[in-house]
Amino acid sequence: MSERLAEVYAEEWPRCVAILTRVLGDLERAEDAVQDAFATALEQWPQTRIPDNPGAWIVTTARNRAIDRIRRERVAAGKTALLARLESLPEDPDEMSSLPDERLALVFTCCHPALAADVQIALTLREVGGLTTSEIAAAFLIPEQTMAQRLVRAKRKIRTAGIPFRVPPGAILPDRIAAALRVLYLIFNEGYATSTGGVLVRRDLCAEAIRLTKLLCVLMPDEPEAFGLLALMLLQDSRREARLSAEGELVLLADQDRTLWDTRAIDEGLRMLARANALRRPGIYQVQAEIAAGHAQGSDAATIAFAYDALLRLDRSPVARLNHAVAVALAGDLERGLSLVEAVEGLADYRHYHAARADLLRRLGRGSEARRAYAQALKLTEDGPERRFLERRLSEASASLPE
Amino acid sequence: MKYALLVYTDQSSWQALSDVESARQRAEAMPGWNRLFEEIGKADPNVVSRELASASAAQVVRVVDGKTVVTDGPFAETKEVLGGVLVAELPDLDEAIRLAALVPAAEYGTLEIRPLSNR
Repeated sequence: MSERLAEVYAEEWPRCVAILTRVLGDLERAEDAVQDAFATALEQWPQTRIPDNPGAWIVTTARNRAIDRIRRERVAAGKTALLARLESLPEDPDEMSSLPDERLALVFTCCHPALAADVQIALTLREVGGLTTSEIAAAFLIPEQTMAQRLVRAKRKIRTAGIPFRVPPGAILPDRIAAALRVLYLIFNEGYATSTGGVLVRRDLCAEAIRLTKLLCVLMPDEPEAFGLLALMLLQDSRREARLSAEGELVLLADQDRTLWDTRAIDEGLRMLARANALRRPGIYQVQAEIAAGHAQGSDAATIAFAYDALLRLDRSPVARLNHAVAVALAGDLERGLSLVEAVEGLADYRHYHAARADLLRRLGRGSEARRAYAQALKLTEDGPERRFLERRLSEASASLPE
Repeated sequence: MKYALLVYTDQSSWQALSDVESARQRAEAMPGWNRLFEEIGKADPNVVSRELASASAAQVVRVVDGKTVVTDGPFAETKEVLGGVLVAELPDLDEAIRLAALVPAAEYGTLEIRPLSNR
């Protein structure tokens, strides 16, 4: 029962919160009502059974709870109108023929650029992902109270700033889709290259990001970048088991045991990429997925470097330039790769910049410079698999390379 | 919802200009301002928009121990100072953002969007 209940919760939470937000015009009120309804479900369902259409049951129960709550409030702005809108929802779950799907509006509200990035992430996991506050707090290794406050402030800001609940109109839609995809990729990366806690991969966050991106693909079946991002996540995630050695050290792509790669995830990723490509509107996630697909299929370094060229045309950010430079180096031109790396500005505090530079200097046999770069990277890297990897490289460089 | 769009600009560069040059630049910016007023007027015919006089005419007033203390200058020692205010009733934040981006000063200054409190 409790397992099934958890499934129902994850599945129905965003649907129900979205419908109630549409009706109430306020995310905080909607969440309170849906929370009340799930609390009632938790009491009743073990005695009765889970209804055939649990979503309809939750929505009507939330409707009734919200009506009770609003009636109890002495002053509520627009009380009569609010009650009238709630009463327009059926009182009996059996009368609710089909639930409208408002989840896409919920995605865009949670990923609105007027909210800070960490707030967008937390809110998306809470409202669209249906994770509980304590689960999100645990995933980001912060106290539950802090996360709860962050979410409360976010919902208040949505109300006081007038952040709309809707799918944005055409003129701003592309920007907002990009913002939503960015939030999902940040969630994935927080799980994949975790910056906190010393574990390399936090599976729960990766799995959640993939689940949410799949939802976005269902809701926007004509958006190639959503499929591109899904493909990228699946292809990166397929290498999860191979990225950590038995000694708990990071293993680079070239040194990974390919038998540990998840072939089902690779196949699914390639299928999603084909679907994105069929829409014939390229974008940064599709090109990055193309690169990840190249690695998965064992493409040679020159082909990979070529794909990085294509990416650089779409994304001129310092990180994209760094990745391109490394690809050039690995395709055989170490000197040119290094000079491209050194031409990238603005990454002095980025640990991967120093690690990449150190690696190229090592390959070029420039020992003392390599050691200094490794030391720089280590300064910026917390304890964990990456650090262990860099420490070993530094000691190897000290032993084998000339000054 | 009522929003205030607060226009912050660096006025020192303006003050360095000759009268002729500043008049020319104002004239150049006029079509942009006209387009803004047309759009914001469509959203709210009762929009209020005011340009503030130069910040060099500003004074700061505080009451300290019951005594009124007046000092010269705008409140904050920043390069960009408040130069204008628009207040309009708008459907949501996205519309406020769209209109704020139409303010010509957004290209060389900063626009702050503040919902008015309805208390």
